[in-house]
Amino acid sequence: MSNPEKQMGRRQFLLAGGLAGAGAVAGATPAFAAEPNSGNKPAIRYGMIIDLKKCVGCKACAAACKAENHTPPGVAYTIVMEQEVGTYPDVRRRFIPRPCMHCSTPSCTIVCPTKATHIRDDGIVAVDYDRCIGCRYCISACPYGVRAFDYGHNYHESPTAYESQPSPEYGRNKKRSLKGNRSPRGNVRKCHFCVHRVTKGLSPACASTCIANAIHFGNLNDPDALCTVHGEKLRFLLATRHHMRLKEDLGNNPSVYYLT
Amino acid sequence: MKTNNNGGNPSIRAIGYLVLIVVTAVGLWEIASKFVNGPIDEGTTQLVTWGIWVSGYIFFLGLSAGSFLISTLIYVFGVKQLEEAGPAALVQALGCLLLGGLLIVLDAGHPERMYMVLLYFNPTSVMAYMGLFYNVYIAIVIAEIYLVMRPGFVRNVQSGKRPTWLYRVLSLGSTRLDPKSLIRDRKWLMVLGILGIPAAVIVHGGVGTIFAVAKARTNWLGGLFPLLFIVSALTSGGALLTFLTAAFSKLPRERKVKLVSSLAQLTIGFLLLDALIMFADIFTTSYTAIPTGASTDKLVLYGPYRWIFWIAQVALGLVIPILLVVIPATRKSLGWLGLAGLLVVIGMLGARLTLVIPPQITPLFDMSLGVYNHVRYAYGYSPSVSDVLVILGAFAFGVWMMLGARKYLPMDVEIEQGAQQGGQVTS
Repeated sequence: MSNPEKQMGRRQFLLAGGLAGAGAVAGATPAFAAEPNSGNKPAIRYGMIIDLKKCVGCKACAAACKAENHTPPGVAYTIVMEQEVGTYPDVRRRFIPRPCMHCSTPSCTIVCPTKATHIRDDGIVAVDYDRCIGCRYCISACPYGVRAFDYGHNYHESPTAYESQPSPEYGRNKKRSLKGNRSPRGNVRKCHFCVHRVTKGLSPACASTCIANAIHFGNLNDPDALCTVHGEKLRFLLATRHHMRLKEDLGNNPSVYYLT
Repeated sequence: MKTNNNGGNPSIRAIGYLVLIVVTAVGLWEIASKFVNGPIDEGTTQLVTWGIWVSGYIFFLGLSAGSFLISTLIYVFGVKQLEEAGPAALVQALGCLLLGGLLIVLDAGHPERMYMVLLYFNPTSVMAYMGLFYNVYIAIVIAEIYLVMRPGFVRNVQSGKRPTWLYRVLSLGSTRLDPKSLIRDRKWLMVLGILGIPAAVIVHGGVGTIFAVAKARTNWLGGLFPLLFIVSALTSGGALLTFLTAAFSKLPRERKVKLVSSLAQLTIGFLLLDALIMFADIFTTSYTAIPTGASTDKLVLYGPYRWIFWIAQVALGLVIPILLVVIPATRKSLGWLGLAGLLVVIGMLGARLTLVIPPQITPLFDMSLGVYNHVRYAYGYSPSVSDVLVILGAFAFGVWMMLGARKYLPMDVEIEQGAQQGGQVTS
């Protein structure tokens, strides 16, 4: 685990140094080197462990996410991908809940021209709505397709009680305007592990809601951390079960593990 | 259709202007509506996030970088047979740069925040460097245009050509026409040209790199894209210059034919290299048949984009222009050579569309997204009416710029005796 992480750190460091050198921007490298995984392991790295054997594909996580974050139509933070395997009668449906992977070496943050999307000290990849110019480069770069651009759709023509509720995202309690182009309209939006709940000691809405107790959440860098929803020891889950991460060969080092 | 401003039937010209005015007005309306309503009318989806505006952006930026690099052949490398195309190449570089800039600013969800790219510059973002060098590059192009046209402006002020105030402003108070000042202009042109070469290459190669490092899209990823972008920039820049020179230059006929055929041959050379890179790209992804890459090739070669690829890119943009420049019956004709240039430009526009859009269409996972039936999660991409109107508007702005430049700017500067000597002195 730790070796690839170190390698990624070095690669990213070199990339930053190379680019900074090319542009002759002095002082650029230190700012980048201060990012979590380029040196010592940060104390906190929030992550999810999703038990695919338990997932029944009910999509309650996706619904809870919508309700929690007041996402407009056409914007989804977490979804459940599904696939039919085999032919009748030997057939089964596969489900993979797909929140943001909150990669340790994300491909979105390095391409963002304004540092609007950034990785926080706790490993959560967040978007600064006031800084995002809406260029959507991060969407093109994200191999997991977890990012969504807020095109400005509403569920109803005239405002309803639901749509005029402020969204608690990033603890800002911001009302989304119903017309015009004020943030977060015209921004790229994404799953933020319900950071407004996590900082209060709660779990992400999807994990709390899951009817099958399939979504575990906690600090992956703490060897003794327990799942904040169900209390299992996270390290124990990973040590005793077969697990995988999506598109691991791309080197993004996702913080979402799937138990298979 | 709107290009015959020298002579021709007045009623056809009136219709041309009418169409141009209508398209311009509609384009302006759509641009204003984008600023007021945001991106809601755009046709892009959550998967195909970059549509025809981004294609248009790289199309115009390519034209600009290519035209500029061709101008450096003249002002830096002293290629005398292209000399008379210099001012047009620079004006074209500026005009296309502005049109590209317009489209990319509009494409952003928050166009009013573009300055933040420089304010919160992210040193690991290729796009941030592109933003920076876009500004450096535009400054260099403007400065070069000034230097190349200064004698013309001064002469217009002295001869009292209207609007005199315009030439007085444009000449920035300069009144000198002596050989020494022309030699000085020429020297600075060379210096700026030398600085401009890396700037143009970084801006357009950088745009290629933006795509090349977008990890999620197999067909963009890799080392070919930056090169392809630079070569196709040169191709399209040369092609547009061929077309516009053939159509509008007021040079004496014999010199014009010579100039246009030099430009056309140069363009075809770049075009062949461009086709080679394109072939290498498609060949490797088709041959290796890694699903994400091969599915894009299928969309382009046999799928919904096959018309753009086979007709616009291959037939119009590659085969016919090469024939026109090679066949003895057409290779000395201004009309046919100009057409060859125009066809290459059309082919390039097609190439921009197939380069940008199909690689985004194939979903990132071979699974259904399950929850979502919203139009923004639909498969495929078709531009909205508003998207198309803005693109047409941009082309209309381009026509206005070209007409304005031909009318008011000294585009066909005769080679100055002094400058010629200066060129020899400095080279």
